[in-house]
Amino acid sequence: MADSILVIVEQHEGKLNRVSWETLTAGQALAAETGWTLEAAVAGSGVASLANEVAGKKVAKVYALESPKLEPYTPDAFAAALKQFIASKQPKLVLLPHTYQVRDFVPKLVTAMERAAISDCIGYKKDGNKLLFTRQMFQGKLAADVAFTCDAPWFVTFQNGAFRGDKVEAGSAAAPVETVNIEIADGVVRNKPQEVFKEAKQAVDLTQAEIIVSVGRGIKEQKNIELAKQLAEALGGELAASRPICDSGWLPMDRQIGSSGQTVAPKLYLALGISGAIQHIVGMKGARTIIAINKDSEAPIFEIADYAVVGNLFDIVPPMIEEVKKAKAGA
Amino acid sequence: MLVFRKPLPNIERPQMPADVVIVGGGPAGMACALRLSQLIDQHNANHPDSQLSKENIYVLEKAREMGQHCLSGALLDPRSMRELLPGFEKEAPLDAEVTKEAVYFLTEKSKFKFPITPPPLRDHGNYVISLNRFVKWLGGKVEETGITIFTGFAGSELILDDDRVTGVRTDDKGVDKHNQPKSNFEPGYDLQAKVVILAEGTRGSLTKQLIARFALDRDRNPQTYGQGIKELWEVPAGRIAPGEVIYTMGWPLTTKEYGGAWIYGGKDNVVSLGFVVGLDYPDPRLDPQRVLQEFKKHPLVARLLERGKMIRYGAKSLPYGGWWSIPPLAGNGWMILGDSAGFLNSQRLKGIHLAIKSGMLAAETAFEALKKGDFSAATLSDFQRRVESSWIKDELWKVRNFHQGFEHGFWRGMINAGLQQFTGGRGLRARYPSTAGYQHLKKLGELPADGGDEAHFLGPAKGDGKLTFDKLTDLYHSGTKHEEDQPAHLVIHDTDVCNTRCIKEFGNPCQNFCPANVYEMVDDATQPNAKRISLNPSNCVHCKTCDIADPYQIITWVPPEGGGGPNYDGM
Repeated sequence: MADSILVIVEQHEGKLNRVSWETLTAGQALAAETGWTLEAAVAGSGVASLANEVAGKKVAKVYALESPKLEPYTPDAFAAALKQFIASKQPKLVLLPHTYQVRDFVPKLVTAMERAAISDCIGYKKDGNKLLFTRQMFQGKLAADVAFTCDAPWFVTFQNGAFRGDKVEAGSAAAPVETVNIEIADGVVRNKPQEVFKEAKQAVDLTQAEIIVSVGRGIKEQKNIELAKQLAEALGGELAASRPICDSGWLPMDRQIGSSGQTVAPKLYLALGISGAIQHIVGMKGARTIIAINKDSEAPIFEIADYAVVGNLFDIVPPMIEEVKKAKAGA
Repeated sequence: MLVFRKPLPNIERPQMPADVVIVGGGPAGMACALRLSQLIDQHNANHPDSQLSKENIYVLEKAREMGQHCLSGALLDPRSMRELLPGFEKEAPLDAEVTKEAVYFLTEKSKFKFPITPPPLRDHGNYVISLNRFVKWLGGKVEETGITIFTGFAGSELILDDDRVTGVRTDDKGVDKHNQPKSNFEPGYDLQAKVVILAEGTRGSLTKQLIARFALDRDRNPQTYGQGIKELWEVPAGRIAPGEVIYTMGWPLTTKEYGGAWIYGGKDNVVSLGFVVGLDYPDPRLDPQRVLQEFKKHPLVARLLERGKMIRYGAKSLPYGGWWSIPPLAGNGWMILGDSAGFLNSQRLKGIHLAIKSGMLAAETAFEALKKGDFSAATLSDFQRRVESSWIKDELWKVRNFHQGFEHGFWRGMINAGLQQFTGGRGLRARYPSTAGYQHLKKLGELPADGGDEAHFLGPAKGDGKLTFDKLTDLYHSGTKHEEDQPAHLVIHDTDVCNTRCIKEFGNPCQNFCPANVYEMVDDATQPNAKRISLNPSNCVHCKTCDIADPYQIITWVPPEGGGGPNYDGM
């Protein structure tokens, strides 16, 4: 059998991940350079149309790896399916995009096949008969050329943006598509995927809040945060904090205001028990109205506060909540 | 619960071979890299058939950008720079040549000018510089040679094989507060080096590992240190000329503390001023940042700064111990340079020129080793010989007993200094001994509760927001930033000592000597009326004072995730 290159494209819910085209471009370039045959595969359940889409590009053949167990994605099923397929085809080189999914199953696949992978490459070089794959080191300050010393199949993943997806060559005619039904025995898939969710980068966007109730060390204990929360709810505002509160884990880091947190400019900023170190002030001094409550009459927060309340926040805040509620009910 | 940084165990790390790894891109490290490149270029030009490569020479620098963590007064004695880059004055960022100098002894309200400037403090011919700008420039020169500087990478551990140093491990990136890898985790690299050159600055963390491992402090005087606190001010025109230099002794310190201040006139009405306090003071309540604030209230200084604006702040420790404290400089696979070794003239308070010279001499040694292909102690100890036959030794030998003479206060120090001046540095005996600075700290019970003569600089500064500042406000002007979600890099080996012993015996002096409010005693929620130590590692300005001055010696400063730290500009 002639040497071949196999590109595994990635799909999600019936759509090809566009980074797949980049990997295909890489495959085309490598095929041109080595003279090896380029083939592609897409794995899933009901992926024939996706395989046809890939077949429109310049490839020798496209395989649709079909199994009901491949949908939804699990690392066990993908590793098992691809191991079977790759073992039977014995390509020289297997190329994949360096996606989260690939990072998830490729180490397992490659270990199961007792081969090596060169991951997150940004390019390749041909040095005589030797293929070298370029990886970044030291956060991109150095590039290392890495070669395989083990037997094929060789696995390579390419970094997002390493090749241009829009440069993928179309084929002169549609390539043949072969559907390969993959048998995955019961008990192989041990993962049970739950609902897919996106981890919110910023759960709260304090910069959009019109009213912010912010707590500092003066709140004393974690359980007292509840008081500030009630005030925020009564006012219809967001809860925020100075660094020590988030540092102690009493509120998540995305609620931190100041030089190492967020910078906000709400209409109203209520500072409860915040002394007002410059590191905090730079994050909120743009607020239109600042009300500060603090026991220490010399707290620097009072220098920028529009309303300064010297006193114990535990005496002041509860009646405040009541008054706000009353006023709102009246209005 | 405090979790401390340590390299993650049981993970596979990328291995990278290297010829020379220089840890630290300050004046010593940069000069070393530049000199090494010069020697290799010369060699390659003369020996077309035995070429040496610069490709595997690397500089590790923990700051995000070159020079960002460098801080000094600074006055540059140009001697070594003229050797390294003849004519450097034409292109280096120099603020001004020293034109005028004065030394004052201060009392609370008045000043006495020394009728003549004592010879060690004569600075004509030296330059006022910003060290971090200077190093940035020097680093640019290094990069032009093709040597790679890895900014944002710290040396976190030495790799040792029996009695040899075989490499450096860089910091793990993307580790959270609980020492768990985050989604962006990247393990540190193992740089397998033929020779590791430690140029980490004062109290280098790898240097400390090396000294402990090979007992390099045996038969040496303990290293002694000072802490310099610096502010940069913009003042109305005409207050001080560029190149004008003022030194002061006395107020606000008493005769029990060692230290003094500098005021340098720079370009564009910028004034560098700072105070160096010897970290061998007796009262644990002393706060060096407060000392600087009190100093600024003196009429001499207050008049200079009136209606001016403080623009930058920073702090750094410096090694005072001198010749008798310098450890062996080389061994199998390693050399130590600059402030890490203790190359500082404590009488002139200058070390940049010595750091540069030591870097050059180490480069010459490394070059010979590269040619021979031998990096054992036999070859590298030539660095020791080169230092001892250079002007570094001449300069440090004359002041070998200087700082030790002050261990028993100002007046005995002045007498000793005078005697040494007439005896070529000998004074009353060949080698004055010294004690580690922290051993001078007295317990609270032995000190007057009201602070006595020292009361005016004990405890935190309040600050008026114009002339004087509280510590957090000062700190803000250092531009310090760290990734918050990482383990504490101030490794306290036993926090029980802080919470139960130190609190009673010394009153937790870490809260006072730390110039960045990293250490705090907070209410312990688990026990009524008890306090516990809490850390704000993201405030740290990397001065290493805690590692030096802690009375129980249970704090180890290790580098935080590379890229974090102060952002000095013009300092």
